[in-house]
Amino acid sequence: MTRAALNRVLLVEDDLDIQSVAQLALEAVGGFVVEICSSGSEALDTAPKFCPDLVILDVMMPGMNGPGTLRALRELPDMVETPVIFMTAKAQRHEVEHYLELGALGVITKPFDPMTLSATINSIWSQHYAA
Amino acid sequence: MPPDTTYSVQDQLDELRQAYIAGLSARVDQLTSVWNTLSPEAWDTSALETMLQLIHKLAGSGATFGFTSLSNTAHTIERYLLDIQERNDPLTSEEYTQISALMEVVRMVAKDPTQHASTLAWKPYLTLNQHLSGAHSRLVYLVEDDLLLARELALELEQSGYTVRTFAHPRELEQVVHDAPPAVIVMDIMFAEDRLAGITGIAQIRQFREVTIPVLFISARNDLPARLHAVRVGGVAYFTKPIDVPRLIEQLDQLTVSPRPEPYRVLIVDDDQVLAEYYALILQQRDMVAKIITDPLHVMVGLVDFQPDLILMDLYMPDWNGLELAAVIRQQQTFVGIPIVFLSTETNLDKQLAAIKLGGDDFLTKPIQPERLIASVVARVQRSRTLQSYMMRDGLTGLLNHTTMKELLSTEVARAQRQATPLTLAILDIDNFKQVNDTLGHTAGDWVLKRLARLLQQRLRATDIIGRYGGDEFAVILPNTDAMVARQIFEEICQDFAHIQQPDDSTTIPITCSCGIAAFSDDHDSNSLNEAADSALYGAKRAGRNRVVPAGAQEQSMPT
Repeated sequence: MTRAALNRVLLVEDDLDIQSVAQLALEAVGGFVVEICSSGSEALDTAPKFCPDLVILDVMMPGMNGPGTLRALRELPDMVETPVIFMTAKAQRHEVEHYLELGALGVITKPFDPMTLSATINSIWSQHYAA
Repeated sequence: MPPDTTYSVQDQLDELRQAYIAGLSARVDQLTSVWNTLSPEAWDTSALETMLQLIHKLAGSGATFGFTSLSNTAHTIERYLLDIQERNDPLTSEEYTQISALMEVVRMVAKDPTQHASTLAWKPYLTLNQHLSGAHSRLVYLVEDDLLLARELALELEQSGYTVRTFAHPRELEQVVHDAPPAVIVMDIMFAEDRLAGITGIAQIRQFREVTIPVLFISARNDLPARLHAVRVGGVAYFTKPIDVPRLIEQLDQLTVSPRPEPYRVLIVDDDQVLAEYYALILQQRDMVAKIITDPLHVMVGLVDFQPDLILMDLYMPDWNGLELAAVIRQQQTFVGIPIVFLSTETNLDKQLAAIKLGGDDFLTKPIQPERLIASVVARVQRSRTLQSYMMRDGLTGLLNHTTMKELLSTEVARAQRQATPLTLAILDIDNFKQVNDTLGHTAGDWVLKRLARLLQQRLRATDIIGRYGGDEFAVILPNTDAMVARQIFEEICQDFAHIQQPDDSTTIPITCSCGIAAFSDDHDSNSLNEAADSALYGAKRAGRNRVVPAGAQEQSMPT
């Protein structure tokens, strides 16, 4: 696979406070173009219009959870191959493996450091495309 | 990343955090009202689901904004709730008690979030602050309108390895403190227009900064109101002019060398596991380390292994009560000084007094308010640690005293023997100290002793054990160090000491020190090691002073 540029990031996270920290971390520190959705169903609506390079999905959300949202996104023609990173608190190793099996590029644990979040994402991204 | 971006991001993060703090109590109120609808009797799966969502959010967001232990507590509640949800049964009464206790901790944090954040340290943002403080860990801001005094003091501090920036007025400090926080602020109190301008200035800075920078006040005022004002804005020390500079430097060293004191260690003795865990959680919220013992018979083992600063003990336990246990603990010399705080439902004052008479230091009545528990524990541990340090340390230099050194030397010798690791003992004394005292006076003599003490503290590792045997004799235990390395270290120290600034510019007496070192080997015990180092020191004196002589070498280095 050729190395793709990472520019547009769609963040799906239900907690408003974490949304704002993540937005700041991704926009001001990382320089990404960011769109935010507060739920899985909102993401299904927004994703095809926004055409993200990467989707960051919170694992536990009310209604449609992270893995559920990923499955639903994959049903959309434009989103069949869009890379996804999960975000979760205190993930056990087998849980992380499970998320990777679902097709995620990586798992970011909460709390994240807003100063290094973008660097972490970039390194997951380039590791994936280097392989 | 250009620094400007970093700072503005930092500012924005600070704002977000403020907003989070502002909304925290509403979050917790909501959580509480849902929890109040749940009990073993009143069971409602949809309320459980709501509770789970709220607590999950709290677990996720708390740590993001620096409330790490709030997150941990919320996460523990979440695990309980998930278990309950999975087995699809009502709460057991034990679960109800546990979760209620945890909820109490959550409410305690929410009630006064900033206070908890400052003790918890705000992790995500620390990367930046740590970086700054790492680079400037010896940066001191000195605010003093007497420019001559400022220059002199700055010079002295710089000689002791600090970087000093001076300011003529507190208001000049505001922006700079924000952009490049120093390790310590040294602040004068009186300025031309206001006899308390220094205090007001610090109060203003504190208003906008969560991360508290330690402040030392210096002042010509020695009145109680000024001192009280200084304490009120969080001053950690107060020096009256003329300033005792070595003591000021000592204080700076203490503040900059080990910014984090050892966490307080509390041994909880209570036969009720759930309650004990609740107390432990409250104490852990304030970064203390707690160990729980539910069987009173294990208390002695706990004391020895855990080495607590304080014992928190239930008064009524099956078989053995707390009073008897306290009496047994107090009968052992090592634990005579350890604070014991009793917990009980006992409200009878006579019985409470009886408990205190038998060796208790305080009596807390159940149910215990978290704040009350914390206050009682913190106050007692602080005092007992201070007393301990007085007992162990030499008043003039702050180094360990002879008794303590002797104890530690035998511990370290035993360790070196057991682990087959090298160990070296160095004994130093000041050359012709009597002449220094006689010519320059005792004040100058004390100054010289303090200078050597400081030099040793600066040059040696944190693991080296430094003490003053008495008079002008010092000793250093260097674990994991052989004689050759020790010799190099002390040769440098002796050379530096010979070049240190004299107490009085007109002095012409050379001030130097000599040092004898001895490495531990199997035919030594702590006494003979001490003797070997001492006779090596004697060898250094006879060989002409201002030098280091290893044990066994003095015979060859001696003129025949």
